[in-house]
Amino acid sequence: MRSTTVKNGERLYLRYAYNDLSRNKGVNAALIVILILSAFLMATGSMVIERLAGSISRLSEQGKPPDFLQMHLGDYDRAALERFAADHESEIAAWLVEEMLGFDSASLTWERPSTGENGDLAASRIDNLFVTQNAEFDFLVDWTGGVVRPAAGEVYVPVLYEQQYGLTAGDVLTISTDAGPHRLEVRGSVKDAQMAASLSPSSRFLIHPEDFEALARAGGAVPEIIAEYRLTAGSDANAIQTAYEGAGGLPTNGQPVTGQQLRIISMISDGLVAFALVFISLVLVAIALLNLRFVISGSLEDEVHEIGAMKAIGIPDRAISALYLTKYSILALVACVVGGLLAVVAANALTQSIETSYAQAPVGIWTFLVPLIALAAVYVIVVAICRGVLGRVKKIEVVNALVHGSTLDEKQTARRAKREARWVRRTGLASSSGAGVNRRLALLDLRAEGRAWVLVPVVFGLTAVLITLPANLVSTFESPQFVTYLGAPERDLRADVQFQQGVDDVKDRLVAAMADDDRLTDVQTYAYVDYSADSADGRARLRVEVGNHVDGAIRFSQGGLPQDGQIALSILNAEKYQVGVGDDLTIDDGDESITVQVSGIYQDLTAGGQTAKMPGEVTEGASAYTVFADLADDGADPAGIADEYGEQFPTAGVKPTQEYARETLGVLIDSMRGAAWIALVFGLGVAVLITSLFLKLRLTRDRPKMGVLSAIGFSANEIVGQVRTKTLLVVAAGTVVGLVFAATAGQSLASAALAAAQLGITDLTFIPNPWLVYVLYPLLLLGAGHLGVALLTAGIRRADKSQWL
Amino acid sequence: MSQGTVTLESRELSKTYYSTDPPTEVLLGIDLSVRAGEFLVIMGASGSGKSTLLYSISGMDKPTSGNVTLEGRELTSLSDAEMSNVRLTRMGFVFQQPHFLRNLDVRDNILLPALKGAAKGKDKDAAIARVDALMERFGISHIKDHGITQVSGGQLQRASICRALAGEPSVLFADEPTGALNSSMSDEVMDALTDVHRDGTTIVMVTHDPGVAARGDRVIYLRDGALVDANEMGPWQPDTAQQREDDLLTWLRELGF
Ligand SMILES: Nc1ncnc2c1ncn2[C@@H]1O[C@H](COP(=O)(O)OP(=O)(O)OP(=O)(O)O)[C@@H](O)[C@H]1O
Ligand SMILES: [Mg+2]
Repeated sequence: MRSTTVKNGERLYLRYAYNDLSRNKGVNAALIVILILSAFLMATGSMVIERLAGSISRLSEQGKPPDFLQMHLGDYDRAALERFAADHESEIAAWLVEEMLGFDSASLTWERPSTGENGDLAASRIDNLFVTQNAEFDFLVDWTGGVVRPAAGEVYVPVLYEQQYGLTAGDVLTISTDAGPHRLEVRGSVKDAQMAASLSPSSRFLIHPEDFEALARAGGAVPEIIAEYRLTAGSDANAIQTAYEGAGGLPTNGQPVTGQQLRIISMISDGLVAFALVFISLVLVAIALLNLRFVISGSLEDEVHEIGAMKAIGIPDRAISALYLTKYSILALVACVVGGLLAVVAANALTQSIETSYAQAPVGIWTFLVPLIALAAVYVIVVAICRGVLGRVKKIEVVNALVHGSTLDEKQTARRAKREARWVRRTGLASSSGAGVNRRLALLDLRAEGRAWVLVPVVFGLTAVLITLPANLVSTFESPQFVTYLGAPERDLRADVQFQQGVDDVKDRLVAAMADDDRLTDVQTYAYVDYSADSADGRARLRVEVGNHVDGAIRFSQGGLPQDGQIALSILNAEKYQVGVGDDLTIDDGDESITVQVSGIYQDLTAGGQTAKMPGEVTEGASAYTVFADLADDGADPAGIADEYGEQFPTAGVKPTQEYARETLGVLIDSMRGAAWIALVFGLGVAVLITSLFLKLRLTRDRPKMGVLSAIGFSANEIVGQVRTKTLLVVAAGTVVGLVFAATAGQSLASAALAAAQLGITDLTFIPNPWLVYVLYPLLLLGAGHLGVALLTAGIRRADKSQWL
Repeated sequence: MSQGTVTLESRELSKTYYSTDPPTEVLLGIDLSVRAGEFLVIMGASGSGKSTLLYSISGMDKPTSGNVTLEGRELTSLSDAEMSNVRLTRMGFVFQQPHFLRNLDVRDNILLPALKGAAKGKDKDAAIARVDALMERFGISHIKDHGITQVSGGQLQRASICRALAGEPSVLFADEPTGALNSSMSDEVMDALTDVHRDGTTIVMVTHDPGVAARGDRVIYLRDGALVDANEMGPWQPDTAQQREDDLLTWLRELGF
């Protein structure tokens, strides 16, 4: 008996939900679209993140990348490395020295004998390193994870080149060496756990030891090595790095990297879009919740008589709420299921390139649990908020509901009447006349019903944040001024003389040539001098940029330029050496030790964020130099001049400064731009949707008013005009608030996120593209509002006005 | 325009709602002539199409076929904006529910059409003066600053009449203006309308109530979308009110009311 009544009750709920869904098709459709979008983006983002993490660790398992590595250019002392390994036997599980031959992209060409097609890799900005397979770890693997061993005359190319240039088995790769072309047959592609990230500046080609010997003998390559370490379980890579840098006599002419950094770079460069999706979906969920609140309060008001009647015949509040809740639970459930299914498709598409560069992640329990938990969270939050809003059913009083058709109790009604009385006394409509009456009415409406309209500005505010934040990030990273975050002055040309033998000589000749060049002015040299200092983990190498540092070139977050006897440190280095502005730091160049005072701490993305600056002039004996120059003629093309110097000084890396920034950040900017587009499209779509949904409900409520206005002599155009005025005003208000928020709090948020990523930036100042962010985007948002008005008022002109009364 | 000439006229007026399945044919070719200065009452059973007729001849709704002329001007061919202007300057409306804008006080509600029609300056001052005079005349000037939730239904309906008259219309349309009022308030409102009529305003009113209908000069009866009969009664006088009402009832009974 009991179970049948429960069943009947459930059926009643379902029938009620069904009736309501079919009655208010438009509103429910809009609601479910927003919910589906939220669920979809949430599920997609979480799936992609899970797959990416899985792919990265799968490739790690297969390729066994080092936990710590040190790149080096030039001669090195193998015995010193052996001593170091012996000294740290308990921490080091295995180590090796990887020998590599670096060839310029321009010296690599390919042809396809079967078709006669051919081309070169000159457009590639990546370093091409030719290596042989390692014996113990750091393997280059094929797509099955198998360790690849090419035969003599064969080469395996990085997957990147397979994707970008379509290099496949059977193609012939020709390397121009000093001794003539060296031909290799492409046998396939290899994945590289160490250099898989799209942000990685180099990639490895796998060849047979015989070919390696031949290439080394032929000349034309820059030989480089990487000292690589696998650590025992529980050992700390940072500690090893510190020990390595403090040991002395070890090869250090290059970038040190930890396994942790490799993983972070991979996550950032290939996971940024996924993180952006999750961020967008969070904003959408917020918007969906606001909407639900609005719609539910509306339907409670519309159906207050029925609710009063149900209460009067003794149906408990909970049962009444359940009647409504059923509908929203169904909506949320359907949205999560549909969004989840769509996400499977989208995530598959998005993870394809991840699987190509990394590895196919094994499907495990988390593959399903992660998106399911994300969807369940969306569902639970939606239902919880609905339940909260439906709590109002409890407060509805039978008499008020039945007699006055009001959801408010006496006290609230009295308060409301008072408020309205106060409003009307101040309207002063008589001050306007003619067409001005329309504007006046719209403003009065907004003033009196402001609360009912609040949904629109809030949604547009959120949308404005959603679309401007990524756009601001992109324009900031793309801005010419951004090089200052790279710890570099805003100059036209930049040359890096580093990681090679004879740096002093190359630098001297370059500086002399530049100084003689009429087209260039203001040639300035900075030297990199290696010191060691006490860090949190022990003695570590501190590479200091010595030169004439000028104001405005560096983004100080505290303090300022170093004077004599002072040093400025990057944020990450200040942390590493545990010093603040005003503190002393003792540094040692191997011969003597000096104490300098920290003058300032600045933001820097370069060299893993670990840099330092001192004033002075060092002309010889430094490990590297950077030379800057300005163009005498501002209109001249820096790229042309850079190319000229590039030919004359092939090892000096002469580039326009802007290109240097692009190379450092290009991939990051590309994926941020992708995220910005997604945010823009979804943001505008949601803005149109919400405006339409809101107006649909609002106009339904305003019908009697529109009927009266029409009878009085207002034309349909004028009535639509009033709606448009109100909508555009609230849209504009929301947009302005959103823009201000994005420019202030959004900037702090972005800074905090960057700080958390440990890249070396903690305090980003947006460099917005004002036309985009302050002109085009607001116009697009106003357009979205306008479109919503146009869609929803299309029927007004044709309608029989008496139907509104 | 002198008493007796036709001011508002419909020819072959039909209205069909296509939103239903099958379509609802509400008006089936109505020929109606309203004389200038006449107080015409439309009666009929519920659902017979009284409101539909009223709104079709007043240009609120678009008839499906046929035409309507007001003061020699064809209304059915006017654009929405032109028609709105006709409503603003030549027509006034009173509804069963007063339908006031909640966020305006009583006086601003009444002023609304007058202000909309007025240009700046003298025009506007004249409109304001006219509205204040109307409120005085209908005994509601003391509530002019009140919000519309603070006054009685009868007062609101008299305010409606003021609003309808604020633009100095030639025809006033009323759809069951007493339908939501008790009998004493109903009398207040009908006295006001009778007053307006005496001043020469043409009135077209829909009602259910024979007592209210007795105020008219002529009653027409609508059944299933067609005019079936008319009852010419002549001007109303307070002393013959009861007699008129009884006669009207007899007539209505014969029609099956
Ligand atoms: N928008 C509409 N769509 C379909 N049918 C309609 C519509 N509006 C009115 N009707 C139908 O037209 C007929 C006449 O309606 P109308 O409101 O004119 O009647 P009425 O005589 O004023 O009735 P009442 O005395 O109840 O006010 C009714 O049967 C009604 O159901
Ligand atoms: Mg009616």
